[in-house]
Amino acid sequence: MIRRLERGAAYVLLAVIAILGFAPFIYLLVLSGKRRIQILAEVPPSLDFDWEVVARNYSEVIQSQGMLGFALNSAIVVGTATIISLVIAVPAAYAFSRLRFRGSNTWASTILSFRFMPPVAVAIPIFLMVRSVGLGNSYPGLILPYVAFTLPLIVWIMIGFFDEIPREIDDAALVDGCGRVEVLWRVLLPLARPGMIVAAIFGAIFIWNEFLVALYVVNSRGLQTVTLGAATLVSAQRPIDWNIAATVGIVTVIPIFLFSLFIQRYIVRGITSGAVR
Amino acid sequence: MAGAVPQTTAPAGPTTPVAARRLVPERDVALLLGPCVLYLIAFSLFPLLYSLYISFTDLRAADSTGSFIGLGNYAELLSDEFFWNATFNTAVMVGAAVSIQVILGTALALFFNLHLRGSWFVRGALILPMLLTPIVVGVMWRALLNPDWGIVNWGMELVGVDPPNWLGSTEWAIRTLILVDVWQWTPFVFLIVFARLQVLPRDVFEAAQVDGAGRLGMLSRITLPLLMPAITFAAIFRAIDAFRSFDLVYGLSYGGPARATTTLSFLAFQNGFQFQNYGYAAATAYVMVIMLIVATTVLLRRIAVRRTDAP
Repeated sequence: MIRRLERGAAYVLLAVIAILGFAPFIYLLVLSGKRRIQILAEVPPSLDFDWEVVARNYSEVIQSQGMLGFALNSAIVVGTATIISLVIAVPAAYAFSRLRFRGSNTWASTILSFRFMPPVAVAIPIFLMVRSVGLGNSYPGLILPYVAFTLPLIVWIMIGFFDEIPREIDDAALVDGCGRVEVLWRVLLPLARPGMIVAAIFGAIFIWNEFLVALYVVNSRGLQTVTLGAATLVSAQRPIDWNIAATVGIVTVIPIFLFSLFIQRYIVRGITSGAVR
Repeated sequence: MAGAVPQTTAPAGPTTPVAARRLVPERDVALLLGPCVLYLIAFSLFPLLYSLYISFTDLRAADSTGSFIGLGNYAELLSDEFFWNATFNTAVMVGAAVSIQVILGTALALFFNLHLRGSWFVRGALILPMLLTPIVVGVMWRALLNPDWGIVNWGMELVGVDPPNWLGSTEWAIRTLILVDVWQWTPFVFLIVFARLQVLPRDVFEAAQVDGAGRLGMLSRITLPLLMPAITFAAIFRAIDAFRSFDLVYGLSYGGPARATTTLSFLAFQNGFQFQNYGYAAATAYVMVIMLIVATTVLLRRIAVRRTDAP
């Protein structure tokens, strides 16, 4: 009897946790389907929707307010920066995982310590740097610093994945006469593919969410990223249309939501190896 | 004559290619590591040093040079009440948020360790908050906590509780900031502690059970001490990230009301982006860098976040 009560209580608690985690999204989703007046008048908001209003809110945000263009900018910046970052970080992670060389631990911890750097400490110099070489308000002006921001993260995650691949595999390839670089390219990369997916997704989410550097570097509406565009649409400084703000929130979150479903089984690995941001 | 060959040259012979390669990998190391190191020097280390230089000048956005004023900005900071206010807010925010996250996250990990049917689904869903753009998290909670029509206030009034002025009063705004940070980041602590919990050796618990240890005794004497490395790891990561965080303040409260939620990061941002005073902003940010360096050398020496120690 007592055990059954305990079990019941545990399930109630589980439900409460689920509600606390999920309800905020549902609420935002509901608000995104209302008219401005309805949000003020219906407390709590009702669950029957006028689909014309839903369509109007979303087309307002995606087309009139330019979210589609922002998403395109973000896709270009996120895609390019993540790929460059992987190309640079993977060999470095391999070296840290496999080669014995002097000062290897010092190098590794120095590189990884950049993960803790406060973005406000470098935003201004980065802005001045990209502007002085004529890259202010351009894609490369965002991509170059973003690669630097994600490198430590990706190196860190990849070291963990390389460490899991048995050394005997590279030794066998080395005995067969492959060079180090060849071993990495032909033998280890195919094995480390799950790790590269995890690293790429965490890097991509970080860049997708980045805000401060974009705020400095971008000064035209046409070049805004999703996060920057969302921030200007829903800024805490001034009164906003809540139906539009909610729709902006949902539109911004959807790609991340899809990503997180896709990588469900890898994501814990990424986080526990010190990832996220 | 073979016996006359000095022993020291033997290992380098062509018959042991693996060993030979391990001994002279400098060129390989440079090839593999070089791009990463050079890139970080150019786009992380250099900006960081550049920022230090700017902090010794009175550079403003309007002029392009700025003149050297030594420690002037730092001296001004020390007598700037906004700086001390921000330092205090940051300390309160980091201290409170991280403590709550550690307690709740550990409790959640123990709870999910019961492996209730269907709990894997909730566990998966808990990952989402920490992947979200903090700007959007801010907007979401501004809606939830809206004083006029927000659903949280409606719910509280329904059960007869008087809702506080979440984001409108100086007293409550910082608590609300902490609350939202807790909502977003407790899952981080939870996941790390939970992952650790899954790999704890079972025989220790079985032995304790045989010895007649009660549930509470097992928890405080065995489980928690074994989880301590993971908890410390998560706490330090959270503390550093909470210390640096800027976007959530921007999206949730914009530092207000009356600077009640202005953290050091947000102050540095305001001095630079809003007031266009780059020298002063760089000094503000550099105080943070110094605090971080001091904190991490003290903290990391204790748990040494090397890859072998990560849970």
